[in-house]
Formats: sequence, C-alpha cells, structure tokens
Amino acid sequence: METKIDFTLNGKKVSVTSDPMRRLVDVLRDDFSLEGTKEGCGEGECGACSVIKDGLLVTSCLVPIGAVQDSEVLTIEGLSETERGKCLSEAFADGGAVQCGFCIPGMMMAADYLLMGNPHPSETDIRLGISGNLCRCTGYDLIVESIKLASERGQGLW
Amino acid sequence: MVSTFIPRTLQEALAIRRETEAHPFAGGTDLMVAYYRGVGVTPVFPWPVMLISGLEELKGIQKDTQGNVIIGALEISAHIAENPLVPWHVRQAAGRMGAISLRNQATIGGNIGNASPKGDLPATLILLDAMVELQRVGAKRLMKVDDFILATKKTQLAPDELITKVIIPEPQKEFTYVWYRKIGTRRANAISKLSLSAAITLSEEGLIEDFRASSGAAGPKVERSREVEKLLIGRDIHDIEKLLPSFLDAYDTVICPHAMPEFRRLSTRKMLQYFLLQCVKRPQSQIII
Repeated sequence: METKIDFTLNGKKVSVTSDPMRRLVDVLRDDFSLEGTKEGCGEGECGACSVIKDGLLVTSCLVPIGAVQDSEVLTIEGLSETERGKCLSEAFADGGAVQCGFCIPGMMMAADYLLMGNPHPSETDIRLGISGNLCRCTGYDLIVESIKLASERGQGLW
Repeated sequence: MVSTFIPRTLQEALAIRRETEAHPFAGGTDLMVAYYRGVGVTPVFPWPVMLISGLEELKGIQKDTQGNVIIGALEISAHIAENPLVPWHVRQAAGRMGAISLRNQATIGGNIGNASPKGDLPATLILLDAMVELQRVGAKRLMKVDDFILATKKTQLAPDELITKVIIPEPQKEFTYVWYRKIGTRRANAISKLSLSAAITLSEEGLIEDFRASSGAAGPKVERSREVEKLLIGRDIHDIEKLLPSFLDAYDTVICPHAMPEFRRLSTRKMLQYFLLQCVKRPQSQIII
C-alpha cells in the first residue's frame, strides 16, 4: 500500500510515494541519494543515522516515512551547507576528530543539536550530548575537543 | 500486504482502531527494533499498523485544578524529563531512558503499552499511583497503571482502545525524601538491569506517614506491594534499625527476579536499607543520593 508523503528535506519541499512503514534512513539514502546518513546498528543505539526532525535529534532507522508527513528533516547534507555545518566540519578537521569517518555525520548532527540548546557546553555537556553516538574507532576525546572548538569559534552561530 | 493507517485526528484513530484493531505505533523505538529486517528492507508487522505520532490531541503536559498532572500519551521522554510540572521520580526516569535521540522519540503511552518489566516510566508511575485513560469510540475509562499492566507484554488494553492520557495524582502531602536509582551497564542507551523508586513522608517527630517503593526489572512486571509498605507506615523512623530485617525480608518476597536473582535481591535490599537509614539522619536535601 503506497502513500504519498510530503515533507521538507533540507529546506526544500519534497514528496515521496512509498510504503509508509519504509524507514526514513532508507528513503534518504535510496530515494534521495543522501548517503551521508549512515546505518550502523538499525536499532537506534549507535546514532550513525541521526537527523534532525522538527527540531529534534532522532535516529532515522526508527522513523517510518509515514510519520514524516508535513515534517521538516535536516540531514548532514543540509547541515553542511549552513554556516553552523561549515564551522563544525572545519573544527572536526582541525581537531583531528575523524578517523574512519562512519560515525561523523551522526556526531555532527548530535553536536549541532547540542549547540542549538547549549551554545557554550562544558566537556560533560558535550559527552552527554554525543552519548547516543558510537565511534568504533573510539576516538571520542578528539571529537569532544572538536565540538568544544566549534563552540568557541562559532560565536553567534548557535 | 498489511495495511498502514495515518489518522489525522483522535476520532479518526479511534474509528480505525474499532474497525481494524490496527496496532498503535508512536515513537517506534520498540516496534521498529522488534520488526527490523535489515538494511534497506521495510519492516513487516504481523498486524495492521496505525501511525499516531502526529495526533496533537494526545500531546501536552498540564496540571488540573485538583493538582493532578496530566500527560498526553504521545508526550516524549525528553519533554517529560524537562517539565517542572512532572513529579521528580518520573522526570528522573524519563531523563535516563536511552540516549537523547531515543528520548526525542519514545512516548509515555508506548512505554506503558509495551508493558516491559524493564520499562522505566511505569516503575515511577506505579509508585505515584498514576492512572491511564483509555478511550474507545464514545467511551473512556480510567485505571491505575499498576492494574493496567498485567504481566510482561500483557495489558488490559481492549482491541478497540487507545491509551490517551496518564494522570498522576498529587500526593496528599509532599514527600519528605525521595529516591530513584537505575542500574544499567552504562549511562546512555542501557536497559535497566534493576531500578528502585522510593518515597517517604515523615512527620516532624519522625512518624512514617507514607512510604512507597517500586522495583523495575525485578519480576514479570513492576513490583510494588502496598501490604509490605504498611509494615513501615505509622512506625517511628528512629526505630528503623529494628524494623529493617523483617521489612527487607518481606520486600524480598515482593520481587521475583527471573535472571540473576541474587544480584537483584541483594542490590534491592542494599538500596532500601541505604535510603531508609539516610532518612533517619534527616538530611537537608529531599533527594537522597
């Protein structure tokens, strides 16, 4: 049973005709070729598929596309085009946050969501802010430092 | 293919529920995991599904004129954790569920309806004598969360009903001391291995006017025994050392952990003992840690 779902994706109105129970992560990757959103665990534990839906950080592997009707979705591709995204990716590069890179889109989405609510986070705030994102290279310290760097550089962005 | 419905209003949802018994699907944090089939594969459910996360009528947190806190069934853990109207125990449990993204998706109605003995919100709701409102076309009923959840994955929800609200009554008197402890393997995304929620109300002189405790992940449902609580109610907190052995033995019969019973029983005893012995000292802070 296919249903037409209209939503806003990275600031543009889009629609997709699909089984409403298809997962948002699959729709983003397969229908819109937005492959920055990764799938790690498929059960909401690893944060690699994180996107911001209606202002809330969510794991897109647990969201059926039918629940996205009329929503606004921001993916790593959309974030990267903003000043906030540019600040974060430069800080991640300068801070050496990226090893294999698989977790990084999710980490950046979690970092953006954290900074939106708390533009000047402490180290503990940052660690809690990315506590739903797993990095299997275990490079957490440099990721935390890079988010701190972004928060210092990005005055007024968040 | 099994049907999926996307109702726009509660009335529409209740009508669909009556006609098709479609399974309500809110945050998806349990259902999408249970029916996961792999990368790029659409989950298939054994029953018709109704996506209800857009129903605004089931959102919101308010206090009514009698002091009851009313939480819409679709309120997410993140909102519950940060709302000052919500009692402390429930905020604690909501704030420690999963990680940020999970708390942004998981709903209170889902956490109750899923009826897992490890569900974090039911343990605190049962402590506070919270009620659920159940609606079907043309009718509503209320019952205690404790009565609603029968056992693991079993509730009293009728096939034509939806959980619409959670109502937490105001305690007759503010608790003097409160306790909440969730034991999990790590801070984020850990399912409770064990939890204990407790509260006590003491008079100036130290008389125990109210005492409650509930245990999560320590049996087929959240365990609470009002009979065992009565062993302490009306007694003097200064006699607690004398009362403790028989009270702890009695509480031990309340919980029935299936796996790791020794760990769960011993940790529960230690937490109860610690909480009650701290209360004798009458610390300044209401929150015992």
